[in-house]
Amino acid sequence: MHILKALANSLFLIWVATALGQAPDGAACARCHAVQTQAQTAMGRALLTGANPTLQANPKLTVRKGTFTYTVETHGDASTYSVTDGARTLSLPIHWTFGVGAQTWVLEREGRLYESLVSYYPAIQGLDTTTGDERLKPSTLEDAMGRELKPGDSKDCFGCHATHSVVDGKLSLQALHPGVACEHCHVGSSTHLVDALQGVMDSAPPDLKKLGPEDIASFCGQCHRTWETVVRNRWRGEVNVRFQPYRLANSRCFSGTDPRIGCLACHDPHQDLVQQDASYDAKCLACHGSSTGSAVAARGAKTCPVAKENCVKCHMPKVTLPGGLMTFTDHQIRIVKAGDSYPN
Amino acid sequence: MGVKTQLGKTYGVAPPVLSRPSQKKRGGLGTLLVLFFALFPAAAAAQTSSTSFADSVAQATTAREQQDVTRAIELYGQAVQLNPKWPEGWWYLGSLQYGAGSYSDARDALSRYIELTPSAGAAMAVRGLCEFETGEYSRSLKDIQSGLSLGAANQPRNEGILRYHEAQLLTRDGRFEEALRGYAYFAHAELVEPELPLAVGLAGLRNPLLPKEVHEQRDLYQATGDAALQWMAGDEKASSAFQDLFRRFPAVANLHYLWGYLMFATDPDESLAEFRRELEIARSNSAAQVMLAWGSLMRNHPFEALPYAKKAAQTEPSLPAAQLVFGRALLETGDTSGGTEHLEKALQLEPQNLETHLALAKAYSKSGREEDARRERLLCLQITQNETASGAHP
Repeated sequence: MHILKALANSLFLIWVATALGQAPDGAACARCHAVQTQAQTAMGRALLTGANPTLQANPKLTVRKGTFTYTVETHGDASTYSVTDGARTLSLPIHWTFGVGAQTWVLEREGRLYESLVSYYPAIQGLDTTTGDERLKPSTLEDAMGRELKPGDSKDCFGCHATHSVVDGKLSLQALHPGVACEHCHVGSSTHLVDALQGVMDSAPPDLKKLGPEDIASFCGQCHRTWETVVRNRWRGEVNVRFQPYRLANSRCFSGTDPRIGCLACHDPHQDLVQQDASYDAKCLACHGSSTGSAVAARGAKTCPVAKENCVKCHMPKVTLPGGLMTFTDHQIRIVKAGDSYPN
Repeated sequence: MGVKTQLGKTYGVAPPVLSRPSQKKRGGLGTLLVLFFALFPAAAAAQTSSTSFADSVAQATTAREQQDVTRAIELYGQAVQLNPKWPEGWWYLGSLQYGAGSYSDARDALSRYIELTPSAGAAMAVRGLCEFETGEYSRSLKDIQSGLSLGAANQPRNEGILRYHEAQLLTRDGRFEEALRGYAYFAHAELVEPELPLAVGLAGLRNPLLPKEVHEQRDLYQATGDAALQWMAGDEKASSAFQDLFRRFPAVANLHYLWGYLMFATDPDESLAEFRRELEIARSNSAAQVMLAWGSLMRNHPFEALPYAKKAAQTEPSLPAAQLVFGRALLETGDTSGGTEHLEKALQLEPQNLETHLALAKAYSKSGREEDARRERLLCLQITQNETASGAHP
């Protein structure tokens, strides 16, 4: 009996190690971290492989851009991306869908990867130029199909939208697990799980909650883009509203050491994004409340003379990207005056 | 001679004003005039009540228009003696002397002109070219860069001449990466300059010499420059050109470094592999240590970066990039105060380096120095304010 129990434990450990090494989906972690693993967050669905329900609901999408016409057709579980100049047509199967609302596809052609030059946007339930590619003016059918991803680019794309996509420094499309799973942020989870089952807790991954606002902004910014990444790359204009750590660090109230301001102060990455403005009031009032507590007073945080609720509605306005297809909350917290231009 | 002669041949026109004059065919007055009137569209004859001064100006103008350079120099010299506050006189005198190959005299006349007209970019640039000829290389670089920032690159030929001289001077100053970035301009420019590959090779192999100072291994520098220029022009043959170089010159320092440096933005994995190969050839190569550290930092592997960064800072403490990567590696591995110390050293060595300001903003933010962090962030935005990414955004 004792031998059987030991054998069962060993088999379980082998299963866990194998499962985590190939496709960590949180199921194993849920044994101890049920709350953190129960939600199906947007990050968890950041990459879709196989059947695409959005495209199944829109089985034929088409748009004309310049001299090129794009079509995305879906039959059953298979979707095809095509572009034609009237004389020739290029068609490629869609294997990788990036994004939960708006969708962009990474396409493979002759061993090279390309970002589709058009994307699907829920706002129009149709296709339009991929955000960020507006300035590209393709002259050939091949260029019109998509923007070729250099090795570093494709690693970045899959590195953020999937887990275990990079093995030994190389992109591995075979090993990846679609979406952001536990191991993506909590590097070392696999080892920790095996050890924890044997009562050894020393190998637990670092507790990210202990990071200060500056460090957590750097951490989240690996995918959501840090302040310095945006500045280094000179990404200017409304398009950088998508890069929340950059915008937040521009805020007058941002502090690298005050835990009341920072990514984790307002967002729980294990839960889906909370959309109700009022739910963030407590976060703002932690500094801008009426309290005369020393911490608040020391930082000179003022109280709002206009309202005590729905703070983000005014102080974190929604910004619609040029073209009107996508809207984001501006994380550059500020007093917004009528007629102000977008602060870069 | 140098860029000027080739540019003249390429375009089939008189040498541009910023080019060095031919010793055989002096002059280029037609071009000088074009530039003069571009600079001073409303310039007329001297406005003075002195008859002798007016006479000198009139005679000088006539001599210049008749391309009698020697006489024009003499007469402009007399005119500015009579009226030392006549800026155009100093400009004509300096330009003509530069055209005649009298570089020291030209430099001095242009200095007088710049005193009277401080924001004259073309004059600063020409003075820089004079200083290049007189061997005053630090001043030359400063003047050429000032001239460029003040708009002296007002036409492609002038821009080519100035950027070529600037890149040579950066190489001589040991600022090899900046020089290579400067030479990238020529990868797509339709300019023919026989010594360009040699100059690029010197920057690539990190040898602080001017092409005219190279007497040995010219074929190595030439071939290296050719390969680098191929890469800069997007020629796929660059890779095989470098492989050929590795076969021909297996023990040459900085060759693998150069190939890694060129590939860094597009293929960081291969790039880092090349830096490691470089260290097998030259173990104490600080530039390779710096780039290995930087590559690891950019991949968010600060603990991998730390030993390379530390070695670079120990080997070459006066190298700003070494202090930068060491400070950054310390910062990212939890030693905020140690990191800040080295970043501040890097800043002293190179005050305008964006990466140093970015890292310092983070260091100050992490240590609760909010106003310092804000100041650094503002500096970063100021440094990049006139630059916008081209091409695609993510």
